[in-house]
Parts: sequence; C-alpha cells; structure tokens
Amino acid sequence: MRLVRAELLKIRRRQATWVMLILSLFLLVVLFLLGSVTFQLAGIIEFPEAYNGISQFAFGLGGLLAVVYAASFVGSDWNWGVVRNVVARGESRSKYLLAKAAALAIAFAIATVILYLVGIVLAFVAGWLFGLPVESPLRGRGLQDLADNLILGYPVLLERAALGFAVAVVLRSQLAGAVVGIVFFLGESVVKFTLLGATLFQRAGNVIGGDGIELSGPEWYQYLPVSVGDYVVAAAPGGSGGLTNIIEQFLIRPVPLDLALIAVAIYLVLAMGVAIIAFDRQEIV
Amino acid sequence: MSSTFAQGSTFAQPATPIDADLAVATRGLVKSYGRHTALMGLDMSVPRGKVYGFLGPNGSGKTTALRLFTGLLRPNAGTIALFGTPYTWRDRKRLFRVGSLIETPSFYPYMSGSENLIVLGAAGPPTDPRRIDQVLEYVGMGGRAKDAVQTYSLGMKQRLGIAAAMLSDPDLLLLDEPANGLDPGGMVAMRETLRYFTRDLGKTVVISSHLLHEVELLADVVGIIDRGRLISEGPLEQMLEEAGRVKVRVAIEEMGRAGAILRDLAPERPLYGIDSGDQAGWFTVHVAPRRASEINRALGAAGIYASGLEPGSDLESIFLELTGTGTTVHDRPETAPATPPDAPAAPTQ
Repeated sequence: MRLVRAELLKIRRRQATWVMLILSLFLLVVLFLLGSVTFQLAGIIEFPEAYNGISQFAFGLGGLLAVVYAASFVGSDWNWGVVRNVVARGESRSKYLLAKAAALAIAFAIATVILYLVGIVLAFVAGWLFGLPVESPLRGRGLQDLADNLILGYPVLLERAALGFAVAVVLRSQLAGAVVGIVFFLGESVVKFTLLGATLFQRAGNVIGGDGIELSGPEWYQYLPVSVGDYVVAAAPGGSGGLTNIIEQFLIRPVPLDLALIAVAIYLVLAMGVAIIAFDRQEIV
Repeated sequence: MSSTFAQGSTFAQPATPIDADLAVATRGLVKSYGRHTALMGLDMSVPRGKVYGFLGPNGSGKTTALRLFTGLLRPNAGTIALFGTPYTWRDRKRLFRVGSLIETPSFYPYMSGSENLIVLGAAGPPTDPRRIDQVLEYVGMGGRAKDAVQTYSLGMKQRLGIAAAMLSDPDLLLLDEPANGLDPGGMVAMRETLRYFTRDLGKTVVISSHLLHEVELLADVVGIIDRGRLISEGPLEQMLEEAGRVKVRVAIEEMGRAGAILRDLAPERPLYGIDSGDQAGWFTVHVAPRRASEINRALGAAGIYASGLEPGSDLESIFLELTGTGTTVHDRPETAPATPPDAPAAPTQ
C-alpha cells in the first residue's frame, strides 16, 4: 500500500497530470459544444444517449491520452534514472510495477468520474445554449445507465493504457513508449479501416453478382486490442461505438460483449505480464 | 550467460572461502557487456566497520562492480557475498541492509527533496518517516528540503543522493563518486558523516572515487582495480608504508657514509643513490614518508647535513604506479640516474 501511495504522490505532483486533465476537459467542452451546434440534434445531449458522447470521448480519445500518459509516467523512471534507486533498495520489481499500475488505475478512475461529471454539466449547458431538450441524467434506468457506461468503459481505458505502459517498460523510455503507443493506437485504426474497406469492396462485388448483402463475421481484425474495446464501449446504454462501428454494422456482426470483455481482459493481463517479465529481466545500467 | 550464477539458481564455487567478517566479498566475479568484459575475475574483500576506498582508472570496472552488488546487473560468473553469505540476483531482501549512490544522483525533478525521500522510503526496507528529516540534516539539506529538486545544484543533488543512501540506516553504504560537485565544506561534512558512520556506528562504507586525496583522508582499506581485475588491496597505512619513500640529498663526498646510515634505517628495503649528473647526491630510501624527520636526525647526528629532503609517495603515486596511467611519477628521478631505480642499489657502501 505504501508503494501505491508513493506512486499516487508522484502522479499528483507531475505537471503532466494536470496538463492532461485540463487538455481533456478543454477538448470535451469543444467537442460537446461543437457537436451540439453542428448537428443541432437533441439526441446528442439527451440522456441516456448523451452518455454515449461522454463515453466516446472518455474511452475513445481519452484512451489515446491514457496510452500517452501511462507510457510517460512509467517511462520517466528510466529517463530520470530513478528506477536504479528503487531496484538498488531491494524492492521487488514486479511489486513496484504493479503498484505503479494500480496508482494509474486509481488516477484514471478519478479522471473518468471528473470527465463524466463535466460531461453531464456540459449537456445541460449545450441544451440551455441551443434550446435543446436534455432530460434528466437519471431518466430511464438513470444511475444504472451511468454505472453501466462506467463499468464497461473503464476496463477498456485500462487496457489501452496498459499497452502504452508495456511499450514504455520494454523500451525503457517515456518518449518511445508514448510514440509507439500512439502509432499502435492510430495504426490499428488505420489497419481496421483498411480491412473494413476490403470487406466492403467484397460485399459490393457480391451485391453486383446478385448475392445480396449478408452479414458475416465477426472478422479477426475486430479482435485487435483497440478495436475490440470499441465493442465493449458500444454495448453500454446509449452506445453506438463510434463512426466505424456505425458503418460496419451494415456489413459485419459486432463482437459479442462477453467475448469482447474477455479479449479486453486478456490484452490487459498480457500487456502487464509482458511489462513485468521485461522489467524483471532487465539489467539496469 | 554461461555461468550457473547468471541463471539465478546455483552458485559458482568460490575460489577461496568467504570470511563471515567481510561486509562484501567477491570471488572470480566476471561481467561482460557484449564482447567487452568489464570485470575479469574480481576478488575483493571489504572488511566490516571500515571505509573501503575503491580506486581505478576510468572504465576499470568500479561502477560495474557496484551495480552488481546492488542487483542492477547480473554477473556472468563468480560469487558476491554480502555480510558473509552469497547473494544472488533474486535475493533482493539482502539489499535492505545496503544503501547506495551509484553514478549520478537521480530524482524526480518536479518533487521536493523530502518528497523524493518519501517515495524512495516507500520502496525496499521499512523506513521510519522521521528518518527523512534526520538524514536531510546529516547532509545539510534541511533548509532546502521543501524545494523542487530541479532547482538544486549538482552539489545539492549529490548531498540528497547521500541522504537517500543513508535513508534506511543501512549497514553498508556503497558510494560511487560521492564527492562529485561538492564544495569544500560539503566534502568536509561528508567526510565527518562517513567517519561517524563507520567509527561510531560500526557500519561499512565502500567509496569509489577519482579524488585520491579524499580517499586517502577517509579510507582505512584500499582496493585498486585495473582492467577488471583487482591489482592491489590492503590497509591504506600498510600500503603507504610499503610503497612509501623519502628522498634525501647529501654532498657527493658524503654519500658513502650517508648510505650506510640510511641502509640501517631500512635494512630490508632497497636503497637507491645517484652519484653523477644533475641529480647526484640524491638517495631514495624506502620508508614511510612520516619517517623523514628520523632520517634527517640520523644524518645530522653523524654530522651529515641534508641539502634536500622530500617525503614522497602518497596514494596518488601508488595508484599511478600500479595502474600505469601516469606518464611521470613526481617522486621518481627524472634524469637518467647512475643507478636506475629498478637496478640493485649502487654506491652506498
């Protein structure tokens, strides 16, 4: 516990923590207000559908920020050489890394709650500004919907952060971890979009050949680490899973929630396992 | 990674038994980085309760050895024993008794000095929070403890590094170049702190440094490493005594008488004299430098008055001679001697 408390103190004192949080809140404000004014759609800010917008942000773009932050947080121990102090004091390497991960998980949980609270307030602000109906956040199943969104989205956020975390530990660098994490995050989206295009092209051929459109899948690329998380977020009340998911639902079946959750858990455990094994075997010079 | 040690399960047999009274002992310690071998069978013995000066030229393997002692690196072969018991890479709890400052002091720049010690104290051995203020006072950093480390000078970071090494009240301190960046006051304070640590508390300090004068003032035992091998080890006083010399100059016509007197002062050691050239009249007597006045007195009693007296040999000259890193040793005759230093003693009879 003292290790986790120490890691939380590091997080609190890091300037990057507050920069990331302020950046996230700024982007949330911009996107919420822009979304409302552009589409003028009540659905975007009407609860429980409004939760989808917050989820898409918190676990979509928020996931990207989590990759960067997790990589920079753990990688900085190598950049500043402090990892040497900890290991030389006889601390268990795996315990140290797990404490770091636990502290990050706590920090992400707090950040998610803050984003949701601000998002809910923003829905009302947007409704008031543009004269759109908002409804109560407790409408329908109310708090249950909110809890479902958080419960389904949070593991996805952790899984994505774990990818950046593992890359930074393996490469022993915060910058390399953040860059590779971003490339991995965005690269997978590009790969998935390309493969989806190929599937679309194939389906178009079938339509021309008179076979009609037939749903297939899920395809293997839907199980890639970032993509599979989208299906979990989309399964939450009001969730659509983003633009790609909306397009692909006409072509391929989504990954079922239970399988998607298992895949997210596997990726999370795998990333942490790789990080722990890599750190345990590292010689520190 | 051919050794059994590197696989973390069994040990290579030590070449000689390890004395339980040693704080650190290595036997046949080998460490390679790719094709470069940094340590080639290091055998060192650090007695408990002493300051051990660990000396060597750049790249001789000092820091590699300290990294191996603290579990940062895995040896390719050989044994490390801490407090008389062999230590494996995975036997990390043994390090709870060790405090270290390896290379440059490393801290979170955005946190204060005391916060850095708080987070460091959370790792490894249980640490009393009150100890943080105590060690900061030890190193004279109490007044700046609340400031961010990024505002510290190199010397202040070094002081904080020493405080961090002492945080858990360890039985063994491993300090790599601890005087780096310290001002004269800081060096004196460090010396006093380390003396208190060993003489009053009975703890052990291994200090690796390029500042030979500093080591000479502080160390009880010295180990000199060169190209990955320990080439000399022993009590500093004994080392200085054995390698010590006093140069004395007399009139050429008195060299015969003077030679007989000087030979009696160190009958078992060679005596060198120069009987021609610019350096004529100089004798090199292999005795401890502190015996210079005794030599002067003995010659004076025989009515021979020295025109030059130079007590020589300090740790620096021993170091340069042993490692061959110096081009000229200041206390060696520079002109061609009638009797070269390596040759048998000449015209002293």
